[in-house]
Amino acid sequence: MRITLNPLTLRKLQRFRSLRRGYWSFILLLGAFLLSLCAELVVNKRALIVYYEGEYFFPSYGAQIPGDQFGLDYSYETNYRELKQIFHHRSEGNWLLLPPVPYDPYEMDYRETDSTGFSPPSLESRHLLGTDKTERDVLARLVYGFRITFAFALGYLFLTYLLAIVAGSVLGYFGGKIDMFGLRLVEVWSNVPFLYMVIILVSVMPGWWGLTWQISSLLLIMVLFSWTGMTYYVRSAVYKEKAKDYVAAAQVIGAGSGRIILRHLLPNVISTLVTFAPFTVAAAISSITALDFLGYGLPAPTPSWGELLKQGVNNLRIAPWIVSSAAGALVLTLTLVTFVGEAIREAFDPKKFSTYQ
Amino acid sequence: MNTAKKINLHPFTLLVFFFLSLFAGCEDNTLKKPDSINSGSQPQETARTMGEADREYIRELAREFAQEFRKEIGSSVGDVNADQPNKEKTFTEFSGLLDESGNPHPLLAHCSDAVLDFYLKHKDAFQISSINQLPKDLQWEDGSKENEFSSPDAKRGGTWKTFMSDFPRTLRTIGPDANGAFRRYLLDYNGVGLVMTHPNSDGYYPGLAERWALGEDGRTVYFQLDGDARYSDGQPVRASDFFFTFYFMRSKHLQAPWYNDFYGKDKFLKITLFDENTLSITYHSAKPDLVERISIRSIPEHFYDELGGDYLKKYQWVQEPTTGPYVVRKEDIKKGQSVTLTRLSNWWADQKKFYRNRYNPDRIMVQVIRDPSKAFEVFLKGDLDMFSLSKTDYWYEKLPNDHELVSKGYLTKVTFFNQVPPPSYALRINSSKPPFDDLNIRIGFQHAMNFDLVLKKIFRGDFERMRTVADGYGKRSHPTLQARKFSVDLATKFFAKAGYRDRGKDGILINDAGKRLSVELLTGYKHLEDVLVVLREEAKKAGLDLKLKILESTAAFKTASEKNHQVVFSAFSSFVELFPRFWEPYHSDNAYSPSGKEKFTTDGSLRSDIVVKTSTNNFTQTAVLEIDQLIDQYRMEDSLKEITSLAHQLSKLIHDHAVYVPGWKKPWLRMGHWNWVAFPEDWGPSESRDYAEFQVFWIDEDKRLLIDDARKNGRKLDAQFGVRVYEKHRINF
Repeated sequence: MRITLNPLTLRKLQRFRSLRRGYWSFILLLGAFLLSLCAELVVNKRALIVYYEGEYFFPSYGAQIPGDQFGLDYSYETNYRELKQIFHHRSEGNWLLLPPVPYDPYEMDYRETDSTGFSPPSLESRHLLGTDKTERDVLARLVYGFRITFAFALGYLFLTYLLAIVAGSVLGYFGGKIDMFGLRLVEVWSNVPFLYMVIILVSVMPGWWGLTWQISSLLLIMVLFSWTGMTYYVRSAVYKEKAKDYVAAAQVIGAGSGRIILRHLLPNVISTLVTFAPFTVAAAISSITALDFLGYGLPAPTPSWGELLKQGVNNLRIAPWIVSSAAGALVLTLTLVTFVGEAIREAFDPKKFSTYQ
Repeated sequence: MNTAKKINLHPFTLLVFFFLSLFAGCEDNTLKKPDSINSGSQPQETARTMGEADREYIRELAREFAQEFRKEIGSSVGDVNADQPNKEKTFTEFSGLLDESGNPHPLLAHCSDAVLDFYLKHKDAFQISSINQLPKDLQWEDGSKENEFSSPDAKRGGTWKTFMSDFPRTLRTIGPDANGAFRRYLLDYNGVGLVMTHPNSDGYYPGLAERWALGEDGRTVYFQLDGDARYSDGQPVRASDFFFTFYFMRSKHLQAPWYNDFYGKDKFLKITLFDENTLSITYHSAKPDLVERISIRSIPEHFYDELGGDYLKKYQWVQEPTTGPYVVRKEDIKKGQSVTLTRLSNWWADQKKFYRNRYNPDRIMVQVIRDPSKAFEVFLKGDLDMFSLSKTDYWYEKLPNDHELVSKGYLTKVTFFNQVPPPSYALRINSSKPPFDDLNIRIGFQHAMNFDLVLKKIFRGDFERMRTVADGYGKRSHPTLQARKFSVDLATKFFAKAGYRDRGKDGILINDAGKRLSVELLTGYKHLEDVLVVLREEAKKAGLDLKLKILESTAAFKTASEKNHQVVFSAFSSFVELFPRFWEPYHSDNAYSPSGKEKFTTDGSLRSDIVVKTSTNNFTQTAVLEIDQLIDQYRMEDSLKEITSLAHQLSKLIHDHAVYVPGWKKPWLRMGHWNWVAFPEDWGPSESRDYAEFQVFWIDEDKRLLIDDARKNGRKLDAQFGVRVYEKHRINF
């Protein structure tokens, strides 16, 4: 499928760019997501560079380096923050460079004897947004949580649209009995209780599945039970477009159904669907957060916003920084997404660009 | 925009529907009836409540009429209810269930045919003897040497406001769904058995029986019923109700196999009635704690005159008449919201020793609050009277000692050192699932669990590490055994023995076949997630990958009892009893079928064609011939000395088998209460497991108003309580 950017689309894009609030929100979101993709370089317990006895190590990615590699007395992964102190202490010319936030989202920073969770934000300990109940860095969990959540939302967007477009265009284009029965099926399907299914399926998910598998299956479950909403829009849009002359012209020339749907109808339909996309992303983010909040989402201890919110709400009085960070991040992200959405809608407003006949 | 909104609301709205449908499920009971019942002949349950009320009324009329009628004609039809002067005579006339002409014994005259048939079928177990046959030299005890544990200062009245996390699915106390959190209000806090164990000493105090005596054989206990004992519907407790208890508890209509077994005929050999107030029960073997084991409760026979396949449905929302002080009135059941219990105004034991000054509130209002942290907020608002503060964060952070409510004298925080076997918080390893079929992996796993860090950081040193499978049983607990300590070196050493030598890219051990050392840890305790998170992170150091699977508690329990887990983190609440139980969790009969020795080959190893047994508490799938033999011996043993020695041996063997990673125990209970709640001077009996168990507190409604008023004005009250520690029962470990 090839979607050429016709002048109309170009004009829409230009218009989107001229809507500064939405455009910058888009850039910001995109930047944040791209940055989160290489979060290991910014927020990580592993050092960026270690110089040890004449050799350079780059531990950020790849296999973990056991402590005995750097002359420590243990075989498990090196604690680079400790190593830094040791290097500093011994001053044998070894050095290492830690990322700006030297924590990963899973590790518990039980270093002082009296720390028992909920350390408030502090520059000194580099816990910029404080720690949670088990002394995990809130910022680290937010950043990695954002990565997972956003990737999840994009995957959700792609898959729901794929299903909805296929189903919607088939129903809309062929119409008649196919539409009649197909639509009923869609209605029945949309009435399957979503949360029930999630609870059931999450509880039977085998634990030996890796995290990626678990997250993808959760994504699949959510998509399977929520693609139907978009189908109606696609269907009606296809219906509308189908009646236009260019479709009739294509049919007269002898184009097949597939070609007509893919080459002629879809480009016109998609432009209206694009306006929904940011809101679908917002919905996906809040759904996965809500599910995590309720405890049916990502498996513990995956960093997730819902889990942070839950912790924050449960410990509202003792650790207000958790809920404020998590809620702040959520509000900010959703606001940005909404700004993008608004801008897209305005840019694609059919009142400005509709062509009749 | 619409879609966005729609999907957005999804989880929440559907959650509401989810819970609503749960309740709908409760009302519309579709539980299966046992197959053998001819359900076609059961009356249809159209307009059920109406029909039932009518029937009850008619039954009542008939009863009254029959009593009058009997008095008038002076016949010896023999209902115990009817006060007949010639009753004594009839009892001594014959023993046995039937007389020569086939009429039932007067004590059983009221029984339905089905019930009588059951007794006749088990003639050995149900016997009627005459009062003359009662051994003459019995040493009757009545608990008069024991001290009362309530306070004479207690005030009657007021409403105790408390909460439950879910609405009860039934008001039955037995059968499917009955084992919920609400049952304690119907049974544990409310029921009276034949004889009650004294919560401050090793002795007993009277319950339905005013005196009791141990028989010569050491297996039989004689009871003399308290003539005042009444059910909440006004009917007296009859000796024959204890016959009926067994008929009832063994019925398959209950769908309660545990009870069927507990009251089984292999446990309770015989029950004998001597007259309308005297009975004896014979247990299968002599036990040091026989009186306690044998002290069953009475089931009101008159209430269950038709015990059939519709039992579950029919009694789903009806409270069985109780011998305790609190009843649930129909109008006080607010589906999905709350259940309120009301104290009987004329409770039979009201003024009796050991019962007076207890059960003080007039009403107990149990609201549904699903979220514990929300419940805590409700408590701080003053809409719940008491709250358990056993969790560290509640005690230290959410309600610190300098909290305004405490310092102003509105609330009191209590630490009470109690003496009970702790709930067994532990990791239970399923030894039938690879890689745990290898002892080295199990031992390595034990050394990879850093419970010390959990205790230090999450519980702040307030709890202690549990040592064995049977802590808290005094001398019966092993004196020296310790749980294995966290040690990366030892863990990796044992893992290496099992073939896991090298670390993979992520630091997790792999064996020669390239398999990662990764296991799934199942639990139903969402609130203890942080404990598992700490264990998981620490286990990584030993090269072990723990995958956490945190489910709803019922789902987790089901998974574990179907033995589909690798490791489960769970706790069983221990019974307050003299010596621990080993059969349920460690006998091979609860791990595999067939039962007994057949599952072992001649050299003592397990046969390959055995089948995993589900729905048992042997979560570790322990099946070791030596352990089996000791448990069998342990169960048959009646000398306390031998029992102690066997318990030690068993604890050691199970320790060596390394299937149980002991967690923690806490030597106290902690709670907070508003100061309108008052407790006795010692706070409570030493065996208290929660603040309500023995119902010795009372509610002062005047003080509630006073405190409410003070809160409104921000006035400080005389803070004589604040933070209190009761150390009377503290044991130095």
